[in-house]
Amino acid sequence: MKVAIVTGAAKPDSIGHEVARRLLKEGMQVVVADLYEEGFSALRQCLCIRCDVADSASVGEMVDKAVEQFQRIDVLVNCVGGSWGITRQDLLASPPPGFRGLANCSLEDWRTIVAANLDAVFYSCRAAAPHLKKQGGAIVNVASIAARKGIPPGSEGSSGPYAVAKAGVMGLTRQLALELGPHGVRVNCVAPGVIASGRLKRVLEITGQDHGPEGPLKTIPMGRVGTVDECAALIVALCTDDTAYMTGVTVDINGASYAA
Amino acid sequence: MPLEGLKGRRALVTGAASGIGSSIVERLKREGIAVVATDIHPAKGITLADLTDADDVEKLAGTAGAIDFLVNAAGGPAVVTRKETLPPIPGAIALEDVDEQTWSAVIAANLTTAFLVCREFAPRMKARKFGRIVNFASIAARRGSDRVGVHYAAAKGGIIGLTKTLALELGPHNITVNAIAPGFIKTPRIEQAGWGSASAAFIESLPLQRAGTPDDIAGVVAMLCSEAGGYVSGATIDVNGGWYFGP
Repeated sequence: MKVAIVTGAAKPDSIGHEVARRLLKEGMQVVVADLYEEGFSALRQCLCIRCDVADSASVGEMVDKAVEQFQRIDVLVNCVGGSWGITRQDLLASPPPGFRGLANCSLEDWRTIVAANLDAVFYSCRAAAPHLKKQGGAIVNVASIAARKGIPPGSEGSSGPYAVAKAGVMGLTRQLALELGPHGVRVNCVAPGVIASGRLKRVLEITGQDHGPEGPLKTIPMGRVGTVDECAALIVALCTDDTAYMTGVTVDINGASYAA
Repeated sequence: MPLEGLKGRRALVTGAASGIGSSIVERLKREGIAVVATDIHPAKGITLADLTDADDVEKLAGTAGAIDFLVNAAGGPAVVTRKETLPPIPGAIALEDVDEQTWSAVIAANLTTAFLVCREFAPRMKARKFGRIVNFASIAARRGSDRVGVHYAAAKGGIIGLTKTLALELGPHNITVNAIAPGFIKTPRIEQAGWGSASAAFIESLPLQRAGTPDDIAGVVAMLCSEAGGYVSGATIDVNGGWYFGP
């Protein structure tokens, strides 16, 4: 049986949660790595491991536990991320109000956000790579439309360092595609625009219903935000043989908001 | 698990007589989709049409009926005519050797066909408030073409502009428009052209260390038509084994 690790899957209205659910339906063993232990009870079919992805030792232990239990790793999906609610201390915090750019960014915020969005992906890929290489497999990372177009001044709920870290995820994806391709491991990422996750709901509570973290919602050509189901289905497709000849690719999923 | 959102839908696949197009037809049929397959080259199960001719496209629309998924796979580097419908794939042509007839024929076969078919079918999709359009770009438009020439790269580059524009224009009508940019895909005609064996060092240099297959492309078409493609629009998806990563 194939084994998948999904980071950031415990919050019930997250993209990662739906990815985990769908990978189970694909017949895989699923390991969930998350700080949000309260969400573990809704994922009884998964092996849920408390893990701080911004801490390389914690990620190493998580991967060791997964391999100890299931002897292999075929799929790694890195869903953890965000500009808030990403540390042990502020896991359930609301998004801080106001525009958070780069020019007004504290060093502490920069380090925290880059750690959760970029360092975390490096740690988990590095830890899982030796196991993925044994039989081949797939890594899917989650970048963002923010990496394509930045965060417009005046918007709320996201941040400048997030845009930079997500661009880093795209670069990391390409680098690992070159390194792991010869071992039969594909590495791709998705770059979501505005998706109707629990995170978006929290942002709309402070911004009003017509402004997402990347700007006004009415500018989306498809006239709606994306669903968690659509985003999760795309991520899962990138884990399967339907995309067997894709690697190093960033697939934009944004309702035609930004065509790269 | 089968892909969600495909069973019971109807698709039109152009360039369906051979290679990538015919694999797409087979794949979509396996997903429970009713497929209308068209080509300028006669073959079993093919509705004949010259898609560079607006009258032929209009006639095709009459026989095809309501379409949920439009896959514009017609095209290629060769000069196709009604007399020679499946000519051998030519080698690289240098800029100064691309004559106007070759330029026009390749632009017509790759870009005008997609334009005419989209223009014919998009209003019908708009009326039904649903549609998925998948166009075919190429690695030639992404990194440049050293195997064919400027005419083919320009035609496929045009597809990317057409795709992005239609994504903006048709998005409000719940129609997604995307392009696939295949890399080196081993089809029987490519092998006939002598590219299959001449490129061992090149294949080794690809991160996935193999040529692509028509099925590799058909899988991505199915993905874009499924639930997974519901919010993907305006994108050009590189399917090339890591040869080129896109912008």
